Amino acid sequence: MAESGWISGGARRVATAMALLLVFALIVFPVAWLVLTAFKLPRDVYEIKWLFDPTVENFLIIFQPPWSLGRRIVNSAVVAAATVGIAIPVAALAAYSFSRFDFLFKRGLFYAILATQFVPAVVIILPFYLMFRDLGLLDTRSGLVLVNLAIVTPFAVWMLKGFFDAVPVECDEAALIDGASRLAIIRLVVVPMAWPGVIVAAVFCFILAWNEFIFALILTRADAVTLQVGLASFRTERGDVWELMAAAGILITIPAAIAATLIQKHFVSGLTGGAVK
Amino acid sequence: MKDRVVKYLLILPAGGVVVGTTIWPLASALIASFRDWRLKRSPLPGRFVGLDNYAFAFEEPEFLNALRVTAWFVAIDVVLTVALALGLALLLRRAGFLQSLTKAVLIIPFAMSPALIGVSFRFMFNGEHGVIAKGLGAFVPGLADVIWLAHPVFALLALVFSDVWHWFPYMTLVILGGLAAIPGETEEAARIDGASEGQVLRHVVLPQLSGVLAVVAVLKTIFALKMFDQVVTLTGGGPGISTQTLAHYIFTIGFVHYDMGLASALAWMLTIVLGVVGAFYLRLILPGRRGAHG
Repeated sequence: MAESGWISGGARRVATAMALLLVFALIVFPVAWLVLTAFKLPRDVYEIKWLFDPTVENFLIIFQPPWSLGRRIVNSAVVAAATVGIAIPVAALAAYSFSRFDFLFKRGLFYAILATQFVPAVVIILPFYLMFRDLGLLDTRSGLVLVNLAIVTPFAVWMLKGFFDAVPVECDEAALIDGASRLAIIRLVVVPMAWPGVIVAAVFCFILAWNEFIFALILTRADAVTLQVGLASFRTERGDVWELMAAAGILITIPAAIAATLIQKHFVSGLTGGAVK
Repeated sequence: MKDRVVKYLLILPAGGVVVGTTIWPLASALIASFRDWRLKRSPLPGRFVGLDNYAFAFEEPEFLNALRVTAWFVAIDVVLTVALALGLALLLRRAGFLQSLTKAVLIIPFAMSPALIGVSFRFMFNGEHGVIAKGLGAFVPGLADVIWLAHPVFALLALVFSDVWHWFPYMTLVILGGLAAIPGETEEAARIDGASEGQVLRHVVLPQLSGVLAVVAVLKTIFALKMFDQVVTLTGGGPGISTQTLAHYIFTIGFVHYDMGLASALAWMLTIVLGVVGAFYLRLILPGRRGAHG
């Protein structure tokens, strides 16, 4: 950082602008190159050029055998949706309890749930692989959903508790006087009032599940292969088919990018649990 | 029903998920780590061998290599990410067109999956037609002949770059949040007292930012220690095993060599390291809270 004494304000402004342009290019360039590659014919892929005859052919080819992207899209979508669909209701119940009640070992239990995030995926996958092999759950979507819950649920509890804390306890009390049960309060009072937060948690979990790689890599072979693992299939015996990889990559990223844009404002609190406001 | 019971019932489903998907695998892997269990010989667990798997690991050159690679990866990755994120956050504090433009693209890398980032960077670091490799070669004469992914050091750097690209924009947002929380008066007061911009930064801004920077550094350390996805899709651990991180080594032992006992022991050692860093992280982000109701 420049000291104001020896660089004039004007020079500093130019330096700042150049630095920002450089960072902008740094972030955008790899994505831009991937998008360009997705519209290139094979002959243009192996040359570094910005101008070429664009084609949408790649986006059609990847849906045909042997790539069959359609089936993988279904797998990824079903697995991510089911993971979120189970994790959010389950997490909401626990988050409400943590938000409203005091109980034995509460602090320890809450920390234990948070701490599970630090467990490396590779230790979780070993016993699951052995169990799924015995139960015939290898290469199934339900098996993948079960394992995905391990990474998604703690996040959801953590985020939802923060959002539920912001709902005034008086709302609960008013409903209690009217004779509502705790379940009814969660469903009809707290969740609707914290709805934007619930959406944020759901979207965050969706991105985690959608982008998940190591579980799908180890647990799937053919039937349940997801988009992330499917990317590897563009590396063939005849070399990498970069233009198809790029086209698939763009399609994979669109749902996550839309999801990320939706919750942009809550991004920071997502991973740090609101520790940094 | 009484709240006294309900409050426990409400935690039960989530507790069940956590026990079933994390606690049980941890316990199961711990038991397996004390066994001789090689799937290539028999699908059934073998006899208990005490701490043999743990002791054996430290005689394996490939394990020591993975330790070294992971240490280097974490060190370079965390320093680069924090430095870039801090620098960018400071540039983005003032309002302006370029600032808004840059802020708008900060979430793009986070939306991309690590697997895709790895494949894309493998394409761009390709020795024959990789745009980054060629571009860097054109600007930096010394790099013109480097085949990035075939060179032990440059391949590790490519891995670091792909991960820094993934995370520094997100960490910039986190640090910007920290900067916004610093009261403007403290800086104004220092300026009125005649402090230069550099002094204001060093003596006023950075001390107040230290908590956030610690959170960013520790969080990034945790993610870097788990590094796996891009190792598979960018370098494959190569050339040779020169970019094989711990997570990738454990994966290889477990699912290429099918040695469940050794893989479990290795995975537990990684878990202990992450547990220590994780405990440190929890203390950072939950400062002095008596209960979990913050």
